[in-house]
Amino acid sequence: MNTFSRSALSAAVGAVILSLGGLAQAQGTLKIAIAGPTTGPVAQYGDMQMMGAKMAVEQINAKGGVNGKKLEAVIMDDACEPKQAVAVANQIVNQKIKYVVGHLCSGSTQPASKLYEDEGILMITPAATNPAITQQGYKMVFRTIGTDDQQGPTAGKYIAGTIKPKKLAILHDKQQYGEGIAKEVRKTVEAGGIKPVLFEGVNKGQTDFSALITKMKKEGVEFIYYGGYHPELGLLLRQSKEQGFDAKYMGPEGVGNKDISAIAGPASEGLLVTLPADFSADPANADLVAAFKAKNQDPTGPFVMPAYAGVQIIADAIKGAKTEDAVKLADYIRKNSFDTPIGKVAFKENGDLKEFEFVIFTWHADATKTPVK
Amino acid sequence: MSGFSLLEFIQQIINGLTLGSIYALIAIGYTMVYGIIGMINFAHGEIYMIGAYVGLLVITALGLFGVDSISAILLATLALSILVTGSYGWTVERLAYRPLRGSPRLVPLISAIGVSIFLQNYVQLGQGARDVSMQPVLTGGWRFGPEGDFQVYLSYMQVLIAVVTVAFMTGLTLFIGRSRMGRACRACSEDRAMANLLGIDTDRVIAVTFVLGAALAAVAGVLVSMYYGLVNPFIGFMAGLKAFTAAVLGGIGSIPGAMLGGVVLGLAESFASAYLQTEYKDVVAFGLLIGVLLVRPTGLLGRPDVEKV
Repeated sequence: MNTFSRSALSAAVGAVILSLGGLAQAQGTLKIAIAGPTTGPVAQYGDMQMMGAKMAVEQINAKGGVNGKKLEAVIMDDACEPKQAVAVANQIVNQKIKYVVGHLCSGSTQPASKLYEDEGILMITPAATNPAITQQGYKMVFRTIGTDDQQGPTAGKYIAGTIKPKKLAILHDKQQYGEGIAKEVRKTVEAGGIKPVLFEGVNKGQTDFSALITKMKKEGVEFIYYGGYHPELGLLLRQSKEQGFDAKYMGPEGVGNKDISAIAGPASEGLLVTLPADFSADPANADLVAAFKAKNQDPTGPFVMPAYAGVQIIADAIKGAKTEDAVKLADYIRKNSFDTPIGKVAFKENGDLKEFEFVIFTWHADATKTPVK
Repeated sequence: MSGFSLLEFIQQIINGLTLGSIYALIAIGYTMVYGIIGMINFAHGEIYMIGAYVGLLVITALGLFGVDSISAILLATLALSILVTGSYGWTVERLAYRPLRGSPRLVPLISAIGVSIFLQNYVQLGQGARDVSMQPVLTGGWRFGPEGDFQVYLSYMQVLIAVVTVAFMTGLTLFIGRSRMGRACRACSEDRAMANLLGIDTDRVIAVTFVLGAALAAVAGVLVSMYYGLVNPFIGFMAGLKAFTAAVLGGIGSIPGAMLGGVVLGLAESFASAYLQTEYKDVVAFGLLIGVLLVRPTGLLGRPDVEKV
């Protein structure tokens, strides 16, 4: 054996010993699974969630942890796939993790939530907005974000009350999140006296929208609401501009991230987006924002603060209820209120927030946004 | 729907032909491999995806070096992409097909699916699972029709796609019809064992077939990254499925059939979007396939004696 391989071997042995040390140390920790997409087409949102949740874990640990124990974030990737989400939920069950902050996409949150309910695991989603998730009568499921039946009407009222387009089209991606929100928007605008000339679904992953755009152009559509995520809307915007179809688009928070500008470029200028209020602009969060900035992270993403709040609520509940039992914690969370970066939060019986506000922003080509007055 | 408009109809034909050209380019890879070894290359969609990635990377790199002549970009990108994907095509054949020559038909089918999964994950690990996007390199186009009313729009990029597709199709047809290698390909497609007895190196012909198919998939990939500007490691699956449909529709094993199948499929999707609902476009596309196969089991231009999987 030559010197190089010997030293490599000793380094490897050292690494193994070190990692064993890590395991031994981890035994006294409270594990929180952070479940969301770290891969796949919507991993950007997963980043926001992971960033917020990790920051909460770090800051809570820096203040001495929870009842003398440190928190430990366990990152789980569901790629926003319903099937993979169930596999992830099973892993969480098998690893005997009691608390979950996730999942992110409504389509993957719903199937996973059933397992958590059955196994008595506390779940707080910082991002899944489909109303159905909290309508299953579950006791273990909470969310630190609003729902589509709040977001849809916000968008719908703005369209019917302020924009008043003569011809409105509503499109969606046929997924639980996108179609759900598109239907809410349709309901609200119809109540406001506007009947959409078009209500259609596109395919997730579709790249060619030219036929649809030609049809809307011919119909003289002036305004389009798109329920879905940014990859499809980005291409829609880009191909619309290319065909010389200059209708205005609006979308939910699923389209509001910098990738929409990377895909659509100048065509993303003037897009309207409903997003949770920008919690990073709240003066009460100045210290937290500074902590994110110090790590070169962007705290303005819509799911960063809700994810932070999710971890914090679990930690506060463990402290307040003086138990680590997830079922008792769920009761405690339902009965109490918590001071978090998204404001003072309290929950309804079904696990939804009592109050949550969506705000309309104008998106710019440089991926910044300004609130609409 | 407010009436029929001829201008809109023309625009939908343009949309459909653009989409159809891309399908046709990928479909040729399926049909050529099937024509010669009687098997479907399920890794072909992934080869196309790699072509799209190489296209996007090269165009972005050329942009960094300040190259802005569109013909220089196109030539360099096509050349590099064909080179890279061609070698992938050759490798796929060498690793997943040649060692299994003479084994039951299902075995290479499964090894090809394995390669497909491998390539998808390999690109996902190497390039990340996220969408990679790029701003258009060629913008603008011509407008026809009355000012202020609906105008037909034909973009330079759509013309470029049509021109490049026709050029490569013509090249391929000449190669198959006139060259020595092309004659060997046709001989293998007629009867591989006999061609072998007559002194044709069939292994080499099969390798060339895979490389040619991959090269055309690369052309499709480059055009797609220039036109849509968005790629991710998963685009190969759906594109492969659509192109395979186009190949079967046109008559698998027949090269003109693949071209026709691609165009028919593109037009069908475009019209389904235009005159029905967008959500029905795949239903119409695959429904058309079933319909054609019921009436003509060998596809539009297929020969009746070709055996089906």
